[in-house]
Amino acid sequence: MEAGGDTTAPGPGDAEDLGDTRFPSEEAGEDGGVHEDPPDPGDGDLEKTESETKDQPPGLLSPLPQSEALSCTCGLWDPVTSEDSPMGGPESGSGGQGGDPSDDDWRSKRKHVFVLSEAGKPIYSRYGSVEALSTTMGVMTALVSFVQSAGDAIRAIYAEDHKLVFLQQGPLLLVAVSRTPQSAAQLRGELLAVHAQIVSTLTRASVARIFARKQNYDLRRLLAGSERTLDRLLDSVERDPGALLLGAVRCVPLARPLREALGALLRRCTAPGLALSLLAIGGRLVTAAQERTVLAECRLDPADLQLLLDWVGAPAFAAGEAWAPVCLPRFNPDGFFYAYVARLDAMPVCLLLLGTDPEAFHDMATCRRLLEEGMHSLGAMRALGEAASFSSAPATSAPAYSVQAVGAPGLRHFLYKPLDIPDHHRQLPQFTSPELEAPYSREQERQRLSDLYHRLHARLHSPSRPLRLIYHVAERETLLAWVTSKFELYTCLSPLVTKAGAILVVTKLLRWVKKEEDRLFIRYPPKYSTPPAAPAASTDQPSHNGLFPGP
Amino acid sequence: MRKPDGKIVLLGDMNVGKTSLLQRYMERRFPDTVSTVGGAFYLKQWRSYNISIWDTAGREQFHGLGSMYCRGAAAVILTYDVNHPQSLLELEDRFLGLTDTASTDCLFAIVGNKVDLVEAGAAESQEKEGRGPGTAGGGGLPKVPKPVQPEDAAALYNKILKYKMLDEKDVPAAEQMCFETSAKTGYNVDLLFETLFDMVVPVILRQRAQGPPQTVDIGSCKTPRRTRSGCCA
Repeated sequence: MEAGGDTTAPGPGDAEDLGDTRFPSEEAGEDGGVHEDPPDPGDGDLEKTESETKDQPPGLLSPLPQSEALSCTCGLWDPVTSEDSPMGGPESGSGGQGGDPSDDDWRSKRKHVFVLSEAGKPIYSRYGSVEALSTTMGVMTALVSFVQSAGDAIRAIYAEDHKLVFLQQGPLLLVAVSRTPQSAAQLRGELLAVHAQIVSTLTRASVARIFARKQNYDLRRLLAGSERTLDRLLDSVERDPGALLLGAVRCVPLARPLREALGALLRRCTAPGLALSLLAIGGRLVTAAQERTVLAECRLDPADLQLLLDWVGAPAFAAGEAWAPVCLPRFNPDGFFYAYVARLDAMPVCLLLLGTDPEAFHDMATCRRLLEEGMHSLGAMRALGEAASFSSAPATSAPAYSVQAVGAPGLRHFLYKPLDIPDHHRQLPQFTSPELEAPYSREQERQRLSDLYHRLHARLHSPSRPLRLIYHVAERETLLAWVTSKFELYTCLSPLVTKAGAILVVTKLLRWVKKEEDRLFIRYPPKYSTPPAAPAASTDQPSHNGLFPGP
Repeated sequence: MRKPDGKIVLLGDMNVGKTSLLQRYMERRFPDTVSTVGGAFYLKQWRSYNISIWDTAGREQFHGLGSMYCRGAAAVILTYDVNHPQSLLELEDRFLGLTDTASTDCLFAIVGNKVDLVEAGAAESQEKEGRGPGTAGGGGLPKVPKPVQPEDAAALYNKILKYKMLDEKDVPAAEQMCFETSAKTGYNVDLLFETLFDMVVPVILRQRAQGPPQTVDIGSCKTPRRTRSGCCA
């Protein structure tokens, strides 16, 4: 196992400092100022932000919600405020009245994510109520426009243990304020995912149109009900990292013949205008088939695929057969597809049929019956049920496997992303990881592991000094991250393992993955299928077609 | 696939309880609130007919799809929250227009959901002010907005008839088509759906006799156009 010259092996003594930014100490400041603005001016800015918000609560913040409430009762029955109380639950309303920046509970959150309009109108906040945050968001807008007025764009501010990352996307401004060890690039990736989520429900074009027409439009009107989806997305980063970190989707472990039979079935069952059909369990991919006529040139971007996988996992799709518009931001941020989503046979198996015709619900429903029949005759339902049944968290009903299956004592968890897939399959980046088991069953522990993975990932992919191999002894575990031309691997090992022992475990793991790769990954994604042409009615109306938003 | 014989659509502002009403009826339970995405399709066997029910999202985000769900509908259930007068107004402002694509002899039901909350509010105010029962939340707490009265719903029903240029003699009376329900307790939920199913069956038979298919079809596009021109005239 040859390592890059930069292999760092901090002794156990260093491990005491897990909680702070000690980890990259050997290359001090690498995290701090590589591509971004120097940290010093940033420090000043942040303090200004803090002191301003601290000074103002009694004077400025309290009257604001009141005036909102007033306008609620007399005029519009604001759907957002009414939605907030029953739906927000304890999670989002954590600060009681919520989001008062002087509130200790709110301030103590590890990571805040805000979305606001260019005019400074609050749209989304991970914690607290956006109304109470008007002032804070005003400060953010001020920072952005101040730098903008100098013909520049603010990207990030580093202040002690905080990172503030700014992302401007059309008329929307996204801001992350984080105390996690995530790098600015990783935070930016998260903000991009949040933006993609918003675009997927509204399309970029309609967001732009709305703000072009009315600059101070309250976008919450249109996003009402979608906040929970954003909350879930941001939570998943801390609970179950991988998809966003590696830019890959996770597959349901399944015997190759069955997966291929299902793929063939998906290709066979088509409907007019069908673009993509996909089977998933608990946010993990079973298999997918794309139609040649619609998606021939561009394979689906993994980010779009992941978005769909998260989307179909929403509780709204638990009952009935759903028909809803959805936009794939990477494929075409300005147009809608129409999605048929249903759980098959009252099982956790979820079917998604994505088409371009807004009126094709009944065609899709027919297609589903065909698929269901086909799956029954394959005996696939039972096999998929078995795949879904192993899970330490039955509530999620996510198909998974135990790390014990590897048979490498000392190995606690890993993320493995193959890079040696044949070229024409590269558009389906995948990764695999076992279920998070003890000692990572509690929220706090998962967060800690997620932090460690993020740190290792940031070091491996550091733009100035990328590393190939990292052996890191932390306080409660030992980690080994390794990237080669064939794979990218993050392993979490028992803290008592020796360096030689770790290498042994990793060797064993690699051998196991090789043996199981047909089951763990979609090695040979199904080829295209050709659906019957859409009826004349829908080709007459290109504006209805998600792909061609009209002349 | 079993082709549905008739279509019923649930419309109304977000958070009035459309999904909860349907789940209460179909699955006999009152689950946690989830925000509907787009629309959800259910099939209900009633006598020898397959009645499809579309549960739509009340969110403004999905507004554009509304008329698609309503196309050729035999009945529309306009739902509001009795505790939120604005949700009744929204029915007229935002949702009535969507029903232009419905069948010309479409039935309309107006449903005030969440009456259990009114009773709770009334009981509370009664405790506080020591007033007698009977004024179904008439006074209410200062915090709770004044609930919607059944007469308000009946007034809306008559407005709809005017809008649709329907003669009061040809359609069921307002008393028959205005309901107050509670998806939480199940109050009036079965009555609502089953009354409507029984009323929809003759519509289905009539449509069958006339021949035009009520599901997605190029032919059905003509129906809404006729309705619209009728309105403007």
